[in-house]
Amino acid sequence: MSDLRIQALLFAGALSIAACSRPNLGPIKGGSSDDPSARVPGAIVVDFKDGTTKAEFDAWEKDWGIDLEFNSIEGPEDGVTIAVGIQDVEAVLAKIRAHPAVEAAEPLEIFQATFVPNDPDFGKQWNLQQIRMPQAWESSRGKGAIVAVLDTGIAFEDYQGFRQVPDLKGVRFVKGYNFVADDEHPVDDHGHGTHVAGTIAQATNNREGVAGIAFEAALMPIKVLDRSGMGVSSDIADAIRFAADHGANVINMSLGGGGYSRVIEKAVAYARKTGVTVVCAAGNTGLGQVAYPAAYPGAVAVSAVGPNGRRAPYSSFGRQLDIAAPGGDKRQGPEGGVLQNTIDRQNPARSVYESFQGTSMATAHVSGVAALLYAKGARAPEQVEKALFDGASIVDGKEWSEEYGHGLLNAEKSLQLVGRQNAPVDWWPFGISAALLAGVMLTLRSRQRPGYLNLLLSPAFFIPLVLATVGVFFARWAFGGATGLAGTVVDFVSLPIPDWQRIVFGRGRLASPLFYSALIPLAGSAFAIAIRGARQLVAGLAMGFAGFLLYAAWSRAPGLAFLPFHFLALPWLVVNAVICLFIARALLKKEIGR
Amino acid sequence: MKLTGTVSLRDLEGGVWVLEGDDGRTYELAGGDRRLRTKGSRIEVDGVIDSGAASFAMVGPVLRVKRYRALP
Repeated sequence: MSDLRIQALLFAGALSIAACSRPNLGPIKGGSSDDPSARVPGAIVVDFKDGTTKAEFDAWEKDWGIDLEFNSIEGPEDGVTIAVGIQDVEAVLAKIRAHPAVEAAEPLEIFQATFVPNDPDFGKQWNLQQIRMPQAWESSRGKGAIVAVLDTGIAFEDYQGFRQVPDLKGVRFVKGYNFVADDEHPVDDHGHGTHVAGTIAQATNNREGVAGIAFEAALMPIKVLDRSGMGVSSDIADAIRFAADHGANVINMSLGGGGYSRVIEKAVAYARKTGVTVVCAAGNTGLGQVAYPAAYPGAVAVSAVGPNGRRAPYSSFGRQLDIAAPGGDKRQGPEGGVLQNTIDRQNPARSVYESFQGTSMATAHVSGVAALLYAKGARAPEQVEKALFDGASIVDGKEWSEEYGHGLLNAEKSLQLVGRQNAPVDWWPFGISAALLAGVMLTLRSRQRPGYLNLLLSPAFFIPLVLATVGVFFARWAFGGATGLAGTVVDFVSLPIPDWQRIVFGRGRLASPLFYSALIPLAGSAFAIAIRGARQLVAGLAMGFAGFLLYAAWSRAPGLAFLPFHFLALPWLVVNAVICLFIARALLKKEIGR
Repeated sequence: MKLTGTVSLRDLEGGVWVLEGDDGRTYELAGGDRRLRTKGSRIEVDGVIDSGAASFAMVGPVLRVKRYRALP
């Protein structure tokens, strides 16, 4: 069977699973009729007066130049018909509407599922509608991603005179740092950082206040700006490296100014190299020059637009600009700003809902969507940026401009793109395992080799090896839409076994040293060593782990949680790979020798 | 360096005090006391541009105020 046919079969299966497990996501609402993308091209729906027969409208059709059919078996009762393949929809509709037997005629719309959270002031968040969050929340809410917010801190805990703001209650926080006071309490003594954090991950669907973009993501609060809103380059550079080393997927820097700093530029490059997407504000001068750090290579530079989708007058722009996002424009009143929960500047223990405008707000939107993309399966900043830029809505017909970069942020479209580009299967771990197997064979006596080869070809050996190196790699693109229990199963089997830690711990980019070790094969071998047949299973698993760990060491050497130093990851992985190799060899030898 | 201009509160990022310099540039005010931050006041500032400072305001160079005096 060809790959394509297998894929088609799997896809059909996935659709039926997805259909059975339609999630409980809240109210289903129709797409907006102002939005042409919600329409089926060249298709219309015409509602005749009840009791209109097919013979009647067949006679009228010739004047209109279309071919109407009843929409369903209800048609003869309710008079609802549809037609497709129409060149000029508006002109045809105008003609049809003039007919006395027609009650209504309109373009055919796709009604799609949207998630409308119950936060009471969600209706004031034009900014979330603008980037199509109600549609985007259907496919990702940021679970498992970590966003570091380098700012004035976040009102995330009750500490001394500081209180957590109510609309951050229930949001996940990971350990951050206060680089201003040099302690572990990066609380907010200004309000800016809490506002920015709110846009990224405000508690949502909690009947309180407003919504945030990636509300199932975790925030890493990092204070680099003091009470007056200023910080120094050394702190900012240290904070970027701290966030990268502690597993952040996204770094939000709603800050800028000062001159070029080699130290910060290097820190941005380091973060990007380790897999972090760095998002920065273009600046608020209104001039054609992007501020640092947004202007450094490797940083995503964000300009701000108002509710009308035009660049806000305060927003900086320029040749390093990458993307535009809602930052607010309050010239027509405060409702044109971005509304989030933050603290009162005079009293940090007091919660307020305030409408801000600035490129900081725009930046937070991009960071939130980047978190959704990581949660949807993106691994590298290149992948995230491609989805952000290719998904952005083009402004004024320009693929790129100094004012809008690649266009206006569109969460729904970017998520669709990353869903499609999701499947680059990494065959390297499998290849390394195969090479190791050949190596092991050389260590055997020639008499044992035929038995050894037979074992390798048995499914009992081969399947665990595949599961440990590449996983059921086609599961995600075949069953990607599944949710609930089916979705969890898909998530697990589509990853190599060592990467199950991502689902179990969900700790951003840091890998668990328990999964990235010989522990699982070792525990398996303790059971299997005495059982015929089971030895092959665990041997395959151990061989797969050996290949996976060696590849991890060679290619990316990810940061490991709990280990104090990043450089310890490499020896850890190599030593454990060697242990796996010995386990596999011992089990296989025993199986042959029986 | 000495600069003259008008003090103003910009509705950006929750509120930012700036000096709209007579040289046509906008400076973010740092330091100084509460009286310095009076909307519309004309002042002469003795201060330095802090090129190592970053801020969320991002409205222009950060001007660290050493001394200032109100202009008539």
